[in-house]
Amino acid sequence: MTDRAEDLAGPARTAQMHFRAGLSHLRAGDSKRALEALDQALGLEPDLADAVAARAELLDVQGDVDGAREGYERARRLLMAVRPGPPDRRYVLRRRGRFAFEIESYELVRSLVKKAVLPHLAQGNALLLAGRFADALQSYDQALKLKPDLLEAVALRGEALAMLGRYDEALQAFDKAIAARPADAETHNSRGIARMALGKIEEANADWRRQLQLLPPLQSAARACVALRLADYGEALPHLELALAREPADPYWRLYQLMARRRLRMTLNLADAPANVAWPTPLIELHANRLAANDVLERADTTGRRAEALFQIGMMELGRDRQAARNNLEQVVEIGPPDLIEYAAARNELSRLGS
Amino acid sequence: MFSVILYGRNDSHGYNLHKRAAISFNAMAEVMTDVDDEILFVDYNTPDDHPTFPEAIHDTLTDKAKRVLRVLRIRPNQHAHLKSKTHLVALEAQSRNVALRRSNPRNRWILYTNTDMLFVPRNEGESLSEILGAVPDGFYQIPRFEIPEMLWEAAFDRRDPVGNLAKLREWSVRFHLNQVVHNFMPMKYDALGDFQAALREDMFAIHGFDEDMILGWHCDSNLAARLALYRGKVDSLIDKVFGYHCDHTRVAAANNKGRATRMNDQDRFIWNVATPYIPAQAETWGWPDVDIEEVRLDRDTPYQRFTAGLDLAIVPAVAPFKYTSVEWNLFNDLTYDLPHTLPFVCDQVVTYPRSTAIMLVAARADFVSSFATAWRGMGFTGPILVPDECEGLPSDLPGVSRGAFAELLPKANMFVFEFGLATQKAEESIRTGRAIGPVDAKRLKVVGRLFKKAAVTEAEARPANQRVARRFIGVNVIYNKFWTTFTDYVGANINPFCSQVLAGVPREDPSMKGKVLRFRGRHSI
Repeated sequence: MTDRAEDLAGPARTAQMHFRAGLSHLRAGDSKRALEALDQALGLEPDLADAVAARAELLDVQGDVDGAREGYERARRLLMAVRPGPPDRRYVLRRRGRFAFEIESYELVRSLVKKAVLPHLAQGNALLLAGRFADALQSYDQALKLKPDLLEAVALRGEALAMLGRYDEALQAFDKAIAARPADAETHNSRGIARMALGKIEEANADWRRQLQLLPPLQSAARACVALRLADYGEALPHLELALAREPADPYWRLYQLMARRRLRMTLNLADAPANVAWPTPLIELHANRLAANDVLERADTTGRRAEALFQIGMMELGRDRQAARNNLEQVVEIGPPDLIEYAAARNELSRLGS
Repeated sequence: MFSVILYGRNDSHGYNLHKRAAISFNAMAEVMTDVDDEILFVDYNTPDDHPTFPEAIHDTLTDKAKRVLRVLRIRPNQHAHLKSKTHLVALEAQSRNVALRRSNPRNRWILYTNTDMLFVPRNEGESLSEILGAVPDGFYQIPRFEIPEMLWEAAFDRRDPVGNLAKLREWSVRFHLNQVVHNFMPMKYDALGDFQAALREDMFAIHGFDEDMILGWHCDSNLAARLALYRGKVDSLIDKVFGYHCDHTRVAAANNKGRATRMNDQDRFIWNVATPYIPAQAETWGWPDVDIEEVRLDRDTPYQRFTAGLDLAIVPAVAPFKYTSVEWNLFNDLTYDLPHTLPFVCDQVVTYPRSTAIMLVAARADFVSSFATAWRGMGFTGPILVPDECEGLPSDLPGVSRGAFAELLPKANMFVFEFGLATQKAEESIRTGRAIGPVDAKRLKVVGRLFKKAAVTEAEARPANQRVARRFIGVNVIYNKFWTTFTDYVGANINPFCSQVLAGVPREDPSMKGKVLRFRGRHSI
């Protein structure tokens, strides 16, 4: 389950600038220039949902109701296509998307409501999700200038630092937040990730075990993800079954269920080939022996997906060839982002395999 | 698919509340098409002797509205612990959370709005249930459009929601009603609290509304701030549904004092919100352990209970009418017609919780037996407590418990004191100059003594879970010698003689006369 937003590439940044101009023209009442700017944004990034929605509303207010309806529906489809982040993460990191509208809107609020922390935090969160980690860090720092002891800002600052790869500093932030609020389950999760990134496996696991203690029993999806980070499949499986029952269309629950059952040496139900071929279906096909490892790796089109694929290949090798398994899991640790569930699980598996 | 959550009380909040609310309840029900949809109205702090607000206007509601409406009644006794902290008589955050806790768990969405809103799907064939069923997870708001008071008051038919929604479609164009008022993020729109649709599971995750917000205003903005953090976005359904508000500014509502209006702190509850969660109320929001009464308008109504009780206790009259008199020379005649009086007594109690324990101090045995029959027939489950000091009363009636007055006093939630003649026969004429006999006088003396004692010691002898003063009902206490006795101790209105009944809570009279009365009552002088 990929857990990291990709950093904004050049065209995306330019699209955001055009989008910003579009909003500005809208506020100034210049519909014509607003439409031009939004079209420019969409020319560079056709799937920028906020621009699609803003353009639809612009058509709507001009009386083009049919054109507007199409745009509204497309924007909604784009939002629905984005898979949420892992449910064991801090609330902000469970969301996905570009949050272009929020970035611009909170910029305006920040300039007008100068002594309030909410606009800084809200914009920081939007920037974080948009992959602009350094900008997010600045927003959180602004909030902390206003309220130096604001623990929420301290913890969010830790998230931005972790995204920037500054795990030592992130760890300090999470330590401070947890010292003040020992029952903050979300920050235990984040500190676990930072610790794991720094190779502090036992300490990371302690955080996740504490998170499991703090999570309400009904939050099965979150509990399943934490247990998977721990590579504790016995703990994970019942929660995965519940998560799958609740969200049967989510292929990750199916994949993780298969993986957990394999590791627990239980029978696998692999009868039906999934109709959907999108990621992570190739990984399910791998477990069903309907797709070879090399074919799966070919279909892994991002770093996160490649790490996921290597992990599943490693897991299948565990019962056959320990060295091959080790090789694959080591590659997961080498290339995978530390907030990836598979990254933590791989490190725990490697630790158990020994040197 | 969704639970609508509303709150209010049986009072006069703003101009022509009854019409606005009826229009709104009926219109909301009209756009519901899923079997699990419901309207939860939290009736907050309506006086115990009043029906809830929806009960008071039930005749103006459509059958569909009655079917989907669940009324959750929060009693004054349940509000008492907050009373000293707020100037308001109805609390939004507490109300909405009580409803959220008790909402249908099968519903995906919670829609927070108010009892003066109408929702018009832009696609005429679509319901709000279908709209919410098709949109992705999120936090949705819509802009609020105003309807001038003249339009909704003069042209809407309360019981014709389809016609009212059709009128709105026409008026929106004809009178340029649809003006979107933008606002800063995270509010997005002005008057945002009139349509906030959130996932039920999100509301549980963030611990509901902030129950520290007890001064009124900005609860909606606080929710928007917290859900905006939690979800990252504030989405709009402007493409799907328009929301119209029945403007009601001819008369200011109780929580609107112009620039002198007291409000929750905007900085604390909006601009400095830093987290979606409220850990301090994680276990307590929505009062999970408090027993909240639920009232339905489509079944087991108070009217049905009232008539069921009386039908068991009295038989229909056989004469077209009967006589009594208020002529002053009959002042000492304490006869009264029990079958005529009993409905007025029952009217005083039927809105109370069914578990109420009632103390009955009476002179007439037939009053006790008739009242006990009606009490059970009305569905009350609490006991009728009759003091041993009252002689000549039946003691073997179902649900009646006898005991020493002092022992029963802290167990009662309400009192009935009946000042009749123990020797009055059913067939006797009423108020024709009947004298008080020795047995009557003896029994009345006991009733009077216990009445005064109960009134002056009410506060100190309350049950542990009773935080508000208990109600005293006087039977046969108008235009006779017990009128002043009763009203010296109980703050009762002036009622028509015909009802024979007065009621209120013990007076707190700081004057010398009040002190003397309390001293005499306490010491049975």
